[in-house]
Amino acid sequence: MAASAQEIELAQLIVTSLNLEVSADEIEPDAPLYGEGLGLDSIDILELSLAISKTYGVQLKSDDADNNKIFSSLRTLNEHIQQHRAK
Amino acid sequence: MKRLFVEGVGLLGPGLDGWSASRAVLAGKEAYLAAATNLHASDMLPAAERRRAGVPIKLALAVGQEAFMQSGCDMKMASTVFTSSGGDNDNVHAINGILATAPREVSPTRFHNSVHNAAAGYWCIAAESREPSTSLCAYDASFAAGLLESATQVSVEDAVVALIAYDHPYPQPLHAVRPIAAAFGMALILTPRQSEKSLAAIEVGFASGKVQESVMQDAGLEALRSGVPAARGLVLLQALASGKAAQVRIAYLEENHLDIRVTPC
Repeated sequence: MAASAQEIELAQLIVTSLNLEVSADEIEPDAPLYGEGLGLDSIDILELSLAISKTYGVQLKSDDADNNKIFSSLRTLNEHIQQHRAK
Repeated sequence: MKRLFVEGVGLLGPGLDGWSASRAVLAGKEAYLAAATNLHASDMLPAAERRRAGVPIKLALAVGQEAFMQSGCDMKMASTVFTSSGGDNDNVHAINGILATAPREVSPTRFHNSVHNAAAGYWCIAAESREPSTSLCAYDASFAAGLLESATQVSVEDAVVALIAYDHPYPQPLHAVRPIAAAFGMALILTPRQSEKSLAAIEVGFASGKVQESVMQDAGLEALRSGVPAARGLVLLQALASGKAAQVRIAYLEENHLDIRVTPC
């Protein structure tokens, strides 16, 4: 399934905040963000959490038991943000 | 002090795009033309480290890599001494800005890069090195402190040591109180024994008493030498580029200095 407008906006935030060498439209909505796939590591996830907090007002905590699910792909991350966004 | 040998040189600064490309300029055979420092992230780094690399990492890895390419030494097996007056000055400025405004949330990447030995960390990842590494700062004497430490390690540990010095300007308003003229880095591969790749033997002596430092022949290069702490080492590169025996003097902290005797191999 193609990326939605919200997913493309989030992909752009990921590319900008992490200075990625890919463009936003190259991020597959269902591909893994962490490790294999986009290749993000733990520092990237912390950096991204800060950018999401500033942009959407969604606090992502390092000890959240659902983190693996939330950060599993662009699609799941976007769903979590849209459900909890304050901005 | 014991003789040690220079087996590789790395250089990157304004109008100085590598040691090989700059040798004739340093020897006074070609005119020095100032230009922006040609910064790029090293292809030795994995993608995640490459996209997080600030100016100091780019400087340190470029000069270290160039110096090792000329030498017969394995970068994986060499000890390293990094020296910089300020470290990542762009990062210091950005973190100060974040801390001055609510909600004071510092970027994890900026925090990660804020330690003075960040360049050493990136270098060890790129070079796949587990050898000893030292990171120093000594204000305007940072290069001299790095050279003294490196020469001591080569002599005492009988080890190959890569000395990597780098500095770059602070943004304003810090630039007004601590002006650093340009982004500049240089590296020396120092070995305990002569090889067919050795460029010169050097003897580094520590002496007390305020004396006149060695200067660059070219006015533009002299402005660079005196304007960037890491570039205090340019006088040593000027001597190496000339291919002639020379005595070079570099100021250390307080009223001390290093006397360096350079003998071409």
